[in-house]
Amino acid sequence: MDWQALSLSLELAAVTLLVLMPLGLWLGRWLAHTRFAGKSLIEAVVVLPLVLPPTVLGYYLLASLGGASPVGRWMQETFDVQLTFNFAGLLIASAVFNIPFMVQPVQRAFEAIPSNLAEAAAVSGLSPWQTFVRVELPLAWPGVLSAAVLTFVHTLGEFGVVLMMGGSIPGETKTIAISIYDRVQSFDLRGADEMALLLLLMSLTAVAASFFATARLVKTR
Amino acid sequence: MSALPVSNTGRGLRVRVSQQLPMLLEGEFTCESGELMALVGPSGAGKTSMLRALAGLMRPTSATISVGDEVWSDTEANIHLAPQDRHVGLVFQNYALMPHLSALDNVSLSLLHLPVKERKAQAQQWLDQVRISVEQQARKPSALSGGQQQRVAVARALARQPRLLLLDEPFSAVDQMSRRSLYELLAELRRNLRIPIVLVTHDLMEARHLADSIVVMDAGRVLQQGHPAQVYRSPRNARVADLMGVHNRFAGRWLGPLSEADTDAQMGWLEWLPADAVTSGPHLRVRDKRRLISGQMVTWVVQSDGLHIDTDEGIELKRANPGLVAVEARVTEVRNLGETTLAKASVVGLEGVSFSLIRSGPQRRSLCGGQAIRVQVDCDWVHVMPIKAA
Repeated sequence: MDWQALSLSLELAAVTLLVLMPLGLWLGRWLAHTRFAGKSLIEAVVVLPLVLPPTVLGYYLLASLGGASPVGRWMQETFDVQLTFNFAGLLIASAVFNIPFMVQPVQRAFEAIPSNLAEAAAVSGLSPWQTFVRVELPLAWPGVLSAAVLTFVHTLGEFGVVLMMGGSIPGETKTIAISIYDRVQSFDLRGADEMALLLLLMSLTAVAASFFATARLVKTR
Repeated sequence: MSALPVSNTGRGLRVRVSQQLPMLLEGEFTCESGELMALVGPSGAGKTSMLRALAGLMRPTSATISVGDEVWSDTEANIHLAPQDRHVGLVFQNYALMPHLSALDNVSLSLLHLPVKERKAQAQQWLDQVRISVEQQARKPSALSGGQQQRVAVARALARQPRLLLLDEPFSAVDQMSRRSLYELLAELRRNLRIPIVLVTHDLMEARHLADSIVVMDAGRVLQQGHPAQVYRSPRNARVADLMGVHNRFAGRWLGPLSEADTDAQMGWLEWLPADAVTSGPHLRVRDKRRLISGQMVTWVVQSDGLHIDTDEGIELKRANPGLVAVEARVTEVRNLGETTLAKASVVGLEGVSFSLIRSGPQRRSLCGGQAIRVQVDCDWVHVMPIKAA
């Protein structure tokens, strides 16, 4: 069992969630409430990481953020920060890769809230922020929760894009999914077996728990 | 419509709205404090949009809206208060209660400026006032009946201590029982609140029954404001007559006063014409409001109250009222509906002209198909309008 890889994966999943949650809430809510020409294009871009092969996404991220790219060079020269083959690169990759998993459920959840509830809140004297906290967020909560779980679990298991952006540096970028691949490559099927089973059980538990919680939330309403 | 003074001394509502796009919305009206005003019109007339403009949820291109000495909207002065700053109570058509909060917490939402304890206490008082029991107050909206949800919505609106109360189609979704208790609640509110109350409805019977004044809207425009009976009896034009459900609408030509006696009595003559305007019907002597030109084609209406079927009592009536004109007619259709009978009777000698007669009580037995009757038209109930539609 590669505990180092597992803890790295858990850390990456947690930080990705932390970074993506505010962005997902903002973008999902905005897409749910706004109508404009070209909205479909933005929605398509949001879903793109879901349909693109992870290697293609990883390749473009590598090409645009790597040391040879203008962005990569500028970051290196100005902040002395490297964006590829380290945890930062991994984080960027998994954040981009998980945008659809976060934004889509959040958008659907906000779309499902009747628009006159926000109006009723405004007429009752609630500021936009109070309306968000006291009305919209509690109502969108099941959707937000399942988005968070999906993002977390999906990050735990991601492979292609992480490999492209991070390589396989133990303790730095070698996640559990890459570790499983390595074990299989080196004919350590017992090791692969253990880790694969663990990942399977963790994912199943998380998703089942979120479904259970969502069903309860919806029922008690 | 005459221009309204901008200054507003009482606590009443003064509204002037004008907008072409994205949809037409135009009109002026007023509602005094303690008065219940009904905004009536068919669906799509702009009633709800008008309500939204009052609540600040919509910003018309041009508007002045004031309640008492508070100006809520004045587009020329670039004033448009947010809904939060208006102190308006709005009861939405489908109540718009927060599904995740109990009835008590829904009402508490209007009282966020208070400390938590006081908030609950006040919310409870408002819910008590609309007769929601303590046990019901703890329930989520989905566990309450439609009528109860509506009363929670009313409590939420009142908890805001509004300067204007708005109700959007409050009767549309409640059963007859809750409807009656809502009438009582409204009557109570009007007595106790002393603020303007505006009610949107498409049900004219309700509007006439409840309101102190009604505003008739159609296709985005305010057509007429007045006391319900007055609007019903003298609609401004044919469209208002249609909207008010005036069935007996006929064509005619205005002849004006024909003698000095007519002029002195402010009376004029109306020539009744059938649809083809070839044959000529009886002449009616009616009130002259000096708004019509002699020879002008007109539309005229007569309310059911002004149509009597000739019986012995009718002859008694004739003696007491010289303004009755007898018209021969034949009953063509009789429909019995619950406690009333609707009948159509075509007028003899006037092609395509027929009366709609509504009868209830013992009178309804006297009508049957094919029967020849004499209808007495009471000229006092005749109202003449220019032919131009809205």
